[in-house]
Amino acid sequence: MTSVVATAETGKSAEPQDKGHLPGEGGLWFFVLGDLAIFSGYLIIYMFYRGWNLEQFQHSQALLSQGLGVLNTLILITSSWFVAMGVQTARKSSFAQASRLIALGGGCGLLFCAVKLFEWYAKLSVGLTIETDQFFSFYYMLTGTHLYHVLVGLALLVFVWRELRIPAQPRMMMIEIGATVWHVVDLLWIVIYALIYLLR
Amino acid sequence: MSELFRNRLTAVWFFLAATTLFSWWFSAQHGADAHEVGGNVAIAVLLAALIKGGLVMWYFMEVRDAPPWLRWMCGGWLVLFFSATLALAFRAF
Repeated sequence: MTSVVATAETGKSAEPQDKGHLPGEGGLWFFVLGDLAIFSGYLIIYMFYRGWNLEQFQHSQALLSQGLGVLNTLILITSSWFVAMGVQTARKSSFAQASRLIALGGGCGLLFCAVKLFEWYAKLSVGLTIETDQFFSFYYMLTGTHLYHVLVGLALLVFVWRELRIPAQPRMMMIEIGATVWHVVDLLWIVIYALIYLLR
Repeated sequence: MSELFRNRLTAVWFFLAATTLFSWWFSAQHGADAHEVGGNVAIAVLLAALIKGGLVMWYFMEVRDAPPWLRWMCGGWLVLFFSATLALAFRAF
């Protein structure tokens, strides 16, 4: 029988060190790593096009709102923190508190969407569209694809939130799946933000 | 303050936020010259993103406690991807 030891710090059950704990289940990580690979490919292609059109890219990049970029990055980092705390809290069987944390994480996700839509609106209203130049083509495609991931992630967070509120014992695997997908959304944005906004 | 940091996740959030603000500031300070390619900004920004990505994977996504094969794949992706982007950041073709 596996002994279950809840540590005060993480509230996780200790498992044999050599096996490790895979959050969610295997198929989830097939998706996660596959998604990372696809985005990586896309971003490497971006770097090539940037090298071929450096001045154009730098000029267009300067038109981005750095304030909105960093704001959205902080929002998503905070949302991931809420979700991670939610998982930790759920493992301690404080399901009501966990559902509140997940809701806060989702709320931050909605805020991210609002800021992103405002950012696009601001660009579009001065005539910067997906057809403007190569940089803005990448900008809209990357942030647009990412926003799609945010929406999928938010839908999963709703499932997680509901799972935590049912009278029966919540299934930790479902919680972990939703949380992991959300963290991927955060991870992807971290990389997009660095390459599209910050890399001068 | 130390009470907040007793939870490792909160400490991770703090470092993520701090690294974000640093890279934002650094990029704004040093990225003005349109003729510059690569340089300190590339290194700082990509290193910051690598650290942030690693923190999210290791602590939020719990890769730290995952089976070795996943740790290797995630670590491998971090190193490979950021090496490639760093190399490309220094090239104007």
